[in-house]
Amino acid sequence: MELLAQGIASGVLIGGLYALMALGLSLSWGALKIINLAHFSFILLSAYLVYQLTVSYEVDPLLTTIIVVPLFFVVGALMQVLFHLANVDEFKSLIVSFGIFIILQSLMRTIWSADFRRIGSDLNPYETESIFIGNIALPLPQLVAFGAAVLIAAAMSLLLSRSYFGKAVRAVAQDADMARAFGIDSRRVAVILSGLTTAFSALAGVFIAVGQTLFPGLAVSWFGIVFSVVILGGLGHTVGALTAGVTVGVAAGASAVIWGPLAAPLVTFVILIAALLFRPEGLITSRSVA
Amino acid sequence: MRSHRRWSYLAIVTVLALIVAACAGDEGGDTTAPPGTDGPTDTSEPSTETTEPSTETTEPSGEPIRIGGTLALTGFLAATGVIHQAVGEVFVERLNEQGGLLGRPVEWVLLDDESAPDQSAAAYERLITENEVDLVIGPYGTGNITAAMAVAERYGYVFPHHTASLTYAYNYACHFSSWSTGLHPNLTNPNLVYDALESSGTPPETIGFVVNEFPGTMFISYGQDGTDEGGAVAEAVKRGWDVVLDITFPTATTDWAPIAAQIRDADPDFLYIAGLGVDAPNIITAMQAIDYLPAGMFSQWPAPGPLLNTEGADGMMSVTIFEEHPPFTDDPEVVEVAGLINEALAAAGIPYTKVETQAAASWTAWEYLQQAAEGAGSLDQQAMCDWLLENGADTLFHGDIQFFADEQNYYVDLSKVKQIQDGDWWVVYPEEFAAPGRSVIYSP
Amino acid sequence: MTQRARVLVGFAVTLVILGFLPGLQETMQFPRFYVIFLFTVFFWVAQASSWNILTGFSGYFSFGQGAWYGIGVYTVAVLVGKRGLPFMAALPLAGLAAGAAGLGLGLVVFRLRRLSGEIFALTTLAVAFVLASVARLTTAIDGGTGIFMTGTPLPEFLGDFTTAMYRLTLVIALATVLVAFLIHDSRLGWGLFSIRDDEPVAGGLGVPVFREKMIALGTNAFFAGLIGGVWSLQLGFVTIDDVFNIRVPLFVILMSVLGGMGHWMGPVVGAVIITTLSDRLNSAGLADVNQIIIGSLLVVLALAVREGVYVRMRDRWVTTAGTFIGVLALVVVLDVNDSLISDFAFAMVATVVVMLVSERVWDLVRGRGRSKGPPPPEVPSADLAETSA
Repeated sequence: MELLAQGIASGVLIGGLYALMALGLSLSWGALKIINLAHFSFILLSAYLVYQLTVSYEVDPLLTTIIVVPLFFVVGALMQVLFHLANVDEFKSLIVSFGIFIILQSLMRTIWSADFRRIGSDLNPYETESIFIGNIALPLPQLVAFGAAVLIAAAMSLLLSRSYFGKAVRAVAQDADMARAFGIDSRRVAVILSGLTTAFSALAGVFIAVGQTLFPGLAVSWFGIVFSVVILGGLGHTVGALTAGVTVGVAAGASAVIWGPLAAPLVTFVILIAALLFRPEGLITSRSVA
Repeated sequence: MRSHRRWSYLAIVTVLALIVAACAGDEGGDTTAPPGTDGPTDTSEPSTETTEPSTETTEPSGEPIRIGGTLALTGFLAATGVIHQAVGEVFVERLNEQGGLLGRPVEWVLLDDESAPDQSAAAYERLITENEVDLVIGPYGTGNITAAMAVAERYGYVFPHHTASLTYAYNYACHFSSWSTGLHPNLTNPNLVYDALESSGTPPETIGFVVNEFPGTMFISYGQDGTDEGGAVAEAVKRGWDVVLDITFPTATTDWAPIAAQIRDADPDFLYIAGLGVDAPNIITAMQAIDYLPAGMFSQWPAPGPLLNTEGADGMMSVTIFEEHPPFTDDPEVVEVAGLINEALAAAGIPYTKVETQAAASWTAWEYLQQAAEGAGSLDQQAMCDWLLENGADTLFHGDIQFFADEQNYYVDLSKVKQIQDGDWWVVYPEEFAAPGRSVIYSP
Repeated sequence: MTQRARVLVGFAVTLVILGFLPGLQETMQFPRFYVIFLFTVFFWVAQASSWNILTGFSGYFSFGQGAWYGIGVYTVAVLVGKRGLPFMAALPLAGLAAGAAGLGLGLVVFRLRRLSGEIFALTTLAVAFVLASVARLTTAIDGGTGIFMTGTPLPEFLGDFTTAMYRLTLVIALATVLVAFLIHDSRLGWGLFSIRDDEPVAGGLGVPVFREKMIALGTNAFFAGLIGGVWSLQLGFVTIDDVFNIRVPLFVILMSVLGGMGHWMGPVVGAVIITTLSDRLNSAGLADVNQIIIGSLLVVLALAVREGVYVRMRDRWVTTAGTFIGVLALVVVLDVNDSLISDFAFAMVATVVVMLVSERVWDLVRGRGRSKGPPPPEVPSADLAETSA
């Protein structure tokens, strides 16, 4: 029983990380109609940068957030500018972002080699620390990632529903031309949103660098889970992404503990398919963002 | 229109750049003679590399001998593929400095198989039929080796290769594995480890298995599918140990917490991680996060570097055939070559630069090729194959190797047990190969 | 001769010419690798074309190509590699199994009225992962140990291994493209295009929407499975990670988008371009640069070429053919490369460049502006009226 509880607890926490990773893709797909595969390489690139900064300057890895997150905000904004210049539609965005993904993967491999990179225990005080609730362990990196995911999901949700910027985003998501007709600078909105979502991805990268070993192939291994979370949570729904991330994490964690780790991906994706097919209409197909 | 034109021009420029790149990189004017009885009919003895100092200064001359091969330079096997690339480059450079092969310079034609077996197979066909290489050397990764071996067999090329884990599957008469685990590593490897544990005087009573779903590790743990042979798990049972945990995990696992939880729950005296790459550091970190660590651990084929920097990994055991310390480094030539390899690995940006299983196996495979050609006195594939089968090879890192035709060209299991002690890897068992002053440290 | 008859004759002629190639190779002694290169092209032509029948024609974006391919590979691997069935008996089963799975998915998914495009896309992705998991868990299928396909006996009439692979892939690729053509130029194709443009309206016009989508999906899955079954031989050692990865699903998308998704020849052109370039870059030994170049090329071409390369080529076919033949002749005569494939790559690249340039010049001459929005969708009836290349 305790085993199951631990499995669920771990699942909840890693679900937060999944949500953080999925947030960028979900928002850019839902609001900007851009399926940005490059997000995966941004997450990994951010993780590598954190690794490099930590190892080269011997700083606390979490401190690197100060550099990495704003940097990727700019990267995301620039990328959106590129997409505007090129006038891409949904399909083309897939191709273009895939091309960028390949380029970034190559770059990462050239710079850091294909070998495994890990912030050593001497520089990473967080990786084995946990907070204990009874006998259930909540590992620190995952806990912080979870906390960050909750905060960001909540903040974005508020931003999108209450602020002028949020309204602008939702207007652009529903009908960009109409929004422009009403005086909203859809381009600026898109650029800022893209910057934000990439910044979130970068933050996810920080937590990954602290909690895992890095190698170029890691980015590809995230595709399945992140896409699941994106769909399950609904395109453009931040709180949805959080819920979906936690659901996926818990489903995987619990089934891994009950039936063995091999069952985890199966359960995750079966839930995904079931949810896709049987969930009430309107949650996903609505074009609005929240 | 304007943005579109901009992109068109950019497209044109890119495409032109492509032409230039392809032009610059393409092999020019290839008129290499087809493989055959080139070179003098030399009946000299096999390479005496382990005893002769490297003072050879004759410049190799004539048509280069081209040796073709692929490696996983990109894709999920690339982490180890690059090690083989670096080692191969050192070997070829040194060989040329020492007068080449059969007096001729050697050129390694290396292609990227992107960690995909079908691409590996196609690339070997290209190397053999389009590039017309004289010799071939195997790729990295069991799947790629399997696919490439079929091509080599089709064209009758001697096929030296390094770390193919599914030994039972290879029955091409001219394949030569440089990873001396013998034909039954599923039996010999675990038993070696278990013997080492018993030599500590305090063997475990309970044992837990965490197995990567990778074919090689599945083979080691459970034996060949469809046979009764069994593997690590069955051998543990034979010793009278209680198997308290036996789980398999997908190769691309990202969430290690549930696995760690299950290990803690089972609490084995000894944890056998039939894993590779960074499975072990991931599992250890996940276990530490839930405040647990088993009394002893073993990892089948870990990437050696990351483990050294993992908190809690002290005492972890693994298998190896060569390590960079005495008695292995008693031979000065070993030290010299190891030094060259260290430099090459560092230059390639690989964090762990010591020579261990992969690098040693890589070097050995090249030695097979060299000694076969020198021994047969020619590049005739059949002659080389026969020569190796009859004479074996005398290798720097692995010593004397024989190829038993009735064991599918395998030799005996040359594995030793190594353990992380004081922050580094040391061979601890069998005694005659243990680092000075080192022995197995284990107590449940 | 009618339009359709002309194309069919074209197919027959292609089959004959290409069919003789392995024999030609033996007599003329050009590198056997060309045969392998060609059958690799055929593999991708079959994959991309089959995918396009669903996605390009009906507009239902599928990430699931890997699923059907995987079913095909594993059907053959299990039946032949594990159970020892004769290969030729197992091969059709590979296509049928994949086709059945596709229809099964369609039965569930197409019944849902409000299923939007993105959701369908990701459902197909999920199916691929589910299948991979099932294969992992079921020892009868794979169970993680992998299946050896090397040394599989093939019937005598197919020839040696390379020739056999060539013939099998050629026939399947031609069949796939032929089916794509037949669908494109039929009422079914018109129906699919109308579904792509506006499904509710299509339904209102009397198009049997559900049935046509099922046919498209089933055909897609069938051919993907069939070519997958053949490819199990090339893989040699079939493992889950080597089969169920993103390479196949992503590459078919790239090839089809590049070549053009509205026409049955689009994926063919796209497959030829990408396979050739990828092969040549790889053979130049530039592993890192290879990937960067392909990535950049994809980005730039996708941005610069709106409706796919094929349509451009067809509209300016004189320029296209002239440039291609001209450059090829030049390069061959000057003996710039030592591989015919490199010559071909050069000619191909030059043609693409010229096409882009001539488009600009043509536009300037015509004084045509370019609208901001996406181009109007390809209307099949217009195709039928034009001469096809």
